[in-house]
Amino acid sequence: MSYARSLSMQHEHGHLPSSQSPITPKLQFFNSVTTDGQQIPTYRVLDGVGKPIEGATLPEIGEDVARRMYENMVQLPIIDNLMYNVQRQGKLAFYMTHYGEEATLIGSAAALALDDEVLGQYRELGVLMWRGFTLDDMMNSCFGNCEDPCSRGKQMPMHFGSRAHHFHMISSPLATQIPQAAGVGFAIKRDPARRGRNCAVVYFGEGAASEGDFHAGMLFASTIPSPTLFIARNNGFAISTPATEQYYGDGIAARGPGYGVHTIRVDGNDVLAVYNAIKEARTLCIDEGRAVLVEAMTYRVGHHSTSDDSFAYRPRQEVEDRKRLDNPIARFRLFLEARGWWSADEENALRARLKDEVMSAFRRAEALPKPELKEMFDNVYGGEEPWSIREQREELSRLLKKYGNVWEPWRSELQKHKGAGKELMEDSQ
Amino acid sequence: MIPPSFRRFPLRYASARNIRRWNSTVTESHPAGGHLPSVATSSFLCTTRDAALRPRGITWTDEGEMGSTDNLIPGRDTRKMNMYQAVRDALSHAMMRDDTAVVFGEDVAFGGVFRCTMGLAEEFGKERVFNTPLSEQGIAGFGIGIAAMGHTAIAEIQFADYIFPAFDQIVNEAAKYRFRSSGQFQAGTLTIRCPSMAVGHGGHYHSQSPEGFFMGAAGIKIVIPRSPIQAKGLLLSSIRDPNPVIFMEPKILYRSSVEQVPLDDYQLPLGRAETLVSGSDLTLLSWGTPIYHCETAMHMLSTPPDALASHIPSSLRSAKIELIDLRTILPWDIETVVESVSRTGRLVIVHEAGRIGGVGAEISAEIQKRCFLKLNAPVMLVTGWDTPVPMQFEKFYVPDALRVVDAVVETLSY
Repeated sequence: MSYARSLSMQHEHGHLPSSQSPITPKLQFFNSVTTDGQQIPTYRVLDGVGKPIEGATLPEIGEDVARRMYENMVQLPIIDNLMYNVQRQGKLAFYMTHYGEEATLIGSAAALALDDEVLGQYRELGVLMWRGFTLDDMMNSCFGNCEDPCSRGKQMPMHFGSRAHHFHMISSPLATQIPQAAGVGFAIKRDPARRGRNCAVVYFGEGAASEGDFHAGMLFASTIPSPTLFIARNNGFAISTPATEQYYGDGIAARGPGYGVHTIRVDGNDVLAVYNAIKEARTLCIDEGRAVLVEAMTYRVGHHSTSDDSFAYRPRQEVEDRKRLDNPIARFRLFLEARGWWSADEENALRARLKDEVMSAFRRAEALPKPELKEMFDNVYGGEEPWSIREQREELSRLLKKYGNVWEPWRSELQKHKGAGKELMEDSQ
Repeated sequence: MIPPSFRRFPLRYASARNIRRWNSTVTESHPAGGHLPSVATSSFLCTTRDAALRPRGITWTDEGEMGSTDNLIPGRDTRKMNMYQAVRDALSHAMMRDDTAVVFGEDVAFGGVFRCTMGLAEEFGKERVFNTPLSEQGIAGFGIGIAAMGHTAIAEIQFADYIFPAFDQIVNEAAKYRFRSSGQFQAGTLTIRCPSMAVGHGGHYHSQSPEGFFMGAAGIKIVIPRSPIQAKGLLLSSIRDPNPVIFMEPKILYRSSVEQVPLDDYQLPLGRAETLVSGSDLTLLSWGTPIYHCETAMHMLSTPPDALASHIPSSLRSAKIELIDLRTILPWDIETVVESVSRTGRLVIVHEAGRIGGVGAEISAEIQKRCFLKLNAPVMLVTGWDTPVPMQFEKFYVPDALRVVDAVVETLSY
């Protein structure tokens, strides 16, 4: 007897008084959220060579938007290549690449409104750049120089955030942004100017979804109805831990229904599928004012970070195969070319232009000094500055006056800061 | 530095029938040496309208009104409230003045397990006063998200003992939100209320005073009131402060501390201690419940019960003890404490939490540094022991009046 049929039979005995749970005489365990016991399907629009699969509906986007999406996708690995190598040369403290996840990032970014509030994990630079965050902004932030528009040199590279772009500040602790996003969604719903127009969007990896904060965030956004769009980037690895060691169920998507949340799984290497899924998810999220979950299936082609050598835990060949067989950028390019929206000449011109732009932004950012040293003590508190902060800044000031010119580690480091620490050394604070 | 207003409220010692038995400072039978003050009879609680309208540092924050405290007092009214009613009154004012303000937590919709949110859901609607799922990390994270959008989030953690699941959200997120984004984003409109301290029978997980754990979390403030007037004024300041605040309410005082409370909207300053009794021989510093143990101890010192008389040298009985309520734990009022200890030369710090790594250790290190030449005795700490709070042993665990008076005598005779 099929599961569906057994379900229908159960209704013959009525249901529990406190819920809609039907009474059944059948002792039956289950372990799937689909009625046929299969895994949750993966929504796809384009096949591996960029052709629409049978039955798929293409999104209504014109040539301009499609080209822009492609250009943004191509831009990411160009930035990644440079920054990865720069980090390898010791010019940058840290970096994390986006290899393999370009379609998930750009497809989702394009489907969102520019003022939907985004809370990310750390591998979402593409979303921020789609919104107009420039190469200069990006480089200045990574170098934490005196023009860093994000944290003023206070956080590690890749910890972006921009109020103007509705992109909340990235922080390293995993999954903390997930219940925060539920709160952001709630605030949007309470704001008459944004209710029904915007949602909160939260990105996280499948590893982060193991944190208690994922549970809390899904639970809050569904129970305290808040328009919050959860986007899981399931790229198969959390540093060295394969997804098979992260969960035993059917991925992240299978958890959504447990929270009463509308859920879909999408091919994260198919930018049009991601676009369609996020577009629809966003509408659902805002219309119902509740949580919606999208699990995008991708593959982390790059190392976890510049502090990681992924070939210590996965074969090089596996990575090469994935790059070759299921490349999100190549897939979309084939689609564009088939439509006559892209050509090899344009490709070459784009790559040359992007490389130049990335290189010049990099050179400029690299040459800029770090922020003024006194900024270290800024923004710990709002309002009246506590005595502890004031006195400690004065203490550093005293030490700098005494040792700033004689203690070599400080002397050389001071030269890297705008003003060389003079605002602390010369002020009569 | 004797605050003149203090003289208007001389110590009053009420009859024994008002004494609450569960207060650990209270003796079970009538002591031969006279009746000891307790929370119910404390002189620190304002029983008259006139006194209630003049707490030190008060700022009237009625909408559209300006001016000094004095000329605004005529026409203001007070009502007798206990601390939970004062908390409820503060929440009501906060929500009335600020449409973005929401109150949430476990079981707050029906009024809260300590009645602090009674009637608020009816008054302001379920969209603004609502239950959350039972998840402290969720409550804190959700509140941060609301605050990140500039809305006012007033979260409740049911007991301070259960704040630890939210430790990550508070220390790594709320505290650093402004700093890490150079002020682009901040969680300053978040306030987390939680009942704390011992209650007589709370055991391990309904008794803790976790303020010390948050002391290293630069970016947040920690506030602990001692009475209804203080609770209302400090809570309104906390809610409106541009930083995330953890507001710890000593739960034994919810019903036991009763005083006249101004009905209007007012605030008391954060980061400022309050000198409750001026003195010149020893500084006694505390916050929350033990303030009342200190009051009892001061009375025991000057007028010892017969049973203790032999332990309290007559030469010390006229010692002038200065009692300070710290009120804000982070950032604490170093100016007031240093000024006091520089004058008295002696410091006894009293708190319920254990000693190691506690707030007292932090303060005594700083005082030792700044008052080294002025100190006539080592800084003494009277604290809970470094054990979990033990159910059947609580009377021997908490820093009660006897332990305070002993520390005062030892320090004075050092």
